[in-house]
Amino acid sequence: MTVEDLSVPAHWRRRLTYYRLVAGRCKKCGRLHYPPAPACPYCGSKDLELIEINNKGKLETYTIIYSAPGKSRGRAPIIVGVVNIEGLRIVSELTDIEPEELKTGIDVEPVLRRMDEDTNKGIIRYAIKFRPVLVPKSEERG
Amino acid sequence: MQDILRPESKVGIHGWGTYVPRYRLPMNEILRMWGWPPGQEKGLGMKEKAVAGLDEDSVTMGWEAALNAIKRAKVNPGKIGAVFFGTESKPYAVKPSATIIAEALGITPETMASDLEFACRAASEGLRSTIGLVASNMIEYGLVIGSDTAQSSPGDVLEFTASSGAVAYIIGSRKGSVAYFEGSYTYVTDTPDFWRRALAPYPKHGEGFTGEPAYFHHIEMSVKGLLEELGLRPSDFDYAVFHQPNGKFPLRVATRLGFPKEKVLPGLVTPEIGNTYNASALLGLARVLDTARPGERVLVAPFGSGAGSDAYSVVVTDVIEERKNLAPKFNDYLLRKKTIDYALYAKYRRLYISYY
Amino acid sequence: MSNAVVTGTGILRVRRQYSKSLKDLAAEAAFKALDESGLDSVDYVVVSSSLSYTEIGQLGLSGHISNYIGLTGVRSIAVEDGEASGLAAVEVATYLIKSGVADNVLVIGVDKLTEFTSGRVYEDLQKINDSELFLLHKIGHAGMAGLLMRMYMNRYNIPRDELSYWPALMHSYAKENPNAMLRFAIDPLAVKKSLSIADPITLLDSFPLGDGAAALVISNSEVSRGEGLAKIKACASSTGFTNPFSQDDPLKIGSLISAYQKLIEMTGLKISDIDVMEIHDSFTITAMMILESLGLSKEGEAAKDVANGKYSKDSRPAINLSGGLKARGHPIGATGVYMIAELSRQLGGVFEGVSLNNASKALAIQINGFGSSSRLVLLERR
Repeated sequence: MTVEDLSVPAHWRRRLTYYRLVAGRCKKCGRLHYPPAPACPYCGSKDLELIEINNKGKLETYTIIYSAPGKSRGRAPIIVGVVNIEGLRIVSELTDIEPEELKTGIDVEPVLRRMDEDTNKGIIRYAIKFRPVLVPKSEERG
Repeated sequence: MQDILRPESKVGIHGWGTYVPRYRLPMNEILRMWGWPPGQEKGLGMKEKAVAGLDEDSVTMGWEAALNAIKRAKVNPGKIGAVFFGTESKPYAVKPSATIIAEALGITPETMASDLEFACRAASEGLRSTIGLVASNMIEYGLVIGSDTAQSSPGDVLEFTASSGAVAYIIGSRKGSVAYFEGSYTYVTDTPDFWRRALAPYPKHGEGFTGEPAYFHHIEMSVKGLLEELGLRPSDFDYAVFHQPNGKFPLRVATRLGFPKEKVLPGLVTPEIGNTYNASALLGLARVLDTARPGERVLVAPFGSGAGSDAYSVVVTDVIEERKNLAPKFNDYLLRKKTIDYALYAKYRRLYISYY
Repeated sequence: MSNAVVTGTGILRVRRQYSKSLKDLAAEAAFKALDESGLDSVDYVVVSSSLSYTEIGQLGLSGHISNYIGLTGVRSIAVEDGEASGLAAVEVATYLIKSGVADNVLVIGVDKLTEFTSGRVYEDLQKINDSELFLLHKIGHAGMAGLLMRMYMNRYNIPRDELSYWPALMHSYAKENPNAMLRFAIDPLAVKKSLSIADPITLLDSFPLGDGAAALVISNSEVSRGEGLAKIKACASSTGFTNPFSQDDPLKIGSLISAYQKLIEMTGLKISDIDVMEIHDSFTITAMMILESLGLSKEGEAAKDVANGKYSKDSRPAINLSGGLKARGHPIGATGVYMIAELSRQLGGVFEGVSLNNASKALAIQINGFGSSSRLVLLERR
């Protein structure tokens, strides 16, 4: 029945949120929220600004989803984490990591990846995921 | 000829960035899978190849290479006036990849953006075009990306080399660049050595025909043309980087053109990651820049089937030292690897047919 | 103001009902409740279903069901609040009685989770979370629970097996409840060994996928003249963060704490006054979060308390004697209606499973997801 989980216009209008982790910051209480809302979820103020929080963060917790939703079976296990960036917790997929490599507290960084595609040759959705920070190992450095 | 008359001489590289996916397929997995004789891969000079993960494609890899290039260039993305995306593995047949990357990196909306196609050489054509746009002051900076998740039919000899990777350059004026161009030269003819028809999943190629009349002829002509125009000889260069469809061709074309092996090896990445198509030679140049010293001169000669080759002479400046560590290097990606078997490779390359 | 009294209950065993449609299940539960109340018709039908649109493709459900069960011409409304739909429907029905709009209201909770394969149901259950944020990331209901469970285990240094006593306790109750889906006992050590669905959540940490329907007749006490099982004393609810990780402490259910405060203000009652509760233990971790958010257990101690027998049937309040979402089952939009039907029967002394003598106060608690809204309904013996 549901061919598309998200409409094309819905993905399009959220693209900055998905591509660059654009969050809302309340000018009254100073707190961040994601995704941006029309009123601060903490204090209700409508005096808000948009900021990019596309930065490194720490992995606070994670799960390995084996019971993948129907059309995502081919992507199982889906690894999801909670990433803390400057106090804001982002729930996001993790990538370039295997279940046995997962550990809370590791540093992760945002990368643009494919999320899913509509069945029947629909659009491809791109969004930020997080992966372990690339640790420079090459001999030329340092 | 006077430098000042060449548009290239006004233009330089401000930032370079690379990307290699994490997964590696060793050659013996392909031998085992498809019944190749032991040692088949040695004729191609191959050890293993890089494989894009399930959530990667030419757009996501190009994004990361471009991000690294922007970091090194220390440029405000809004000042980039053109994004050229060279690939032969576009995620969409119709719909620009360049706009996705431009949007994700904050380059939109005041910019040119398009995907170019010329087998492995499209990104290089983007580079030559960008040099012209910058030299004419139409744009201040341009972003050139070469990115491919190269396709090869399972069981085809192409499977030993077809791999995934990306490279990107921020091109701007010579002033403040990490390396400037001395000249460039392009040589193309209609030579069908390798092609993929519309809606065909994998390319076809002419085996040996891809060599002599295609790869060797075009690269030799472009390099000779460039050297003649600039009045330079192979001995004037510290490095020579050629398109590298396998580990052997670049060394052979170097010998024929008079470049010793040791000038080729620093920029020869294919044996360890495979042929990254639109990245290939430009990725080799990026690896050279990762360690190059000011004053060094690099010859770069990409090639694309169908067929054509460009040759560039690039001279490294003092600025390079402060930029090297602003982003991960090629070898950082090279060393970040996870070996997979053919079964997982087939999953990542979407070779299985699933019905959910 | 009029009092709202539960005068009829209809409970179907939660199970895979391949031979019955969603409307068939609704009818069966409704007829039972009407029979028990002695009524042929009502003034109002309130339907609670969360997945009917996506699972059976039906809009305007309350009208279609009313017509199907022979109540053509009555007023009707459908109520939806995700997993907390059942108690939301009870809340609406209670207000219909208390405001004098209706004297008799039929509440039907119904959902069918086996109409399609489990992958499809997991897809639907993802929508319990904030769709805008989580659908793209394929973070389902169990995935969110997995994130919270690992955070809980790490923060309080709790071994996996210590959390396994809750499912075992729930199964021990469900074994005695003829309307429960999973009527068998389990060894706590089996929980860790069962299939991983969203690590560290295993199959035995999770509610089962089953079809179900439950119905209530709620009447004006003046009309019912002393009949009925239990009185609906108060309904309290609160909204909260749609994403638990937006809260300072994701392991506290903000909306539940807020709804509980409202209940205390409305009634002066505390949890310690309650004899029996049904709580929304969609996953083991949800139960722990509820027990700690209500202050029944100290932070990080709920699992140990369960393991040490603090929540046995002889303690007060006794919790989830039905077997809970975990083992009675969780037919999403029907679950809250099950809770009220079961607790009413406890208070009326006619509950079919593990029962208490002389229970006088009962509390039902539901949460959508991990706190976008929380709902409490307080019942009293007649």
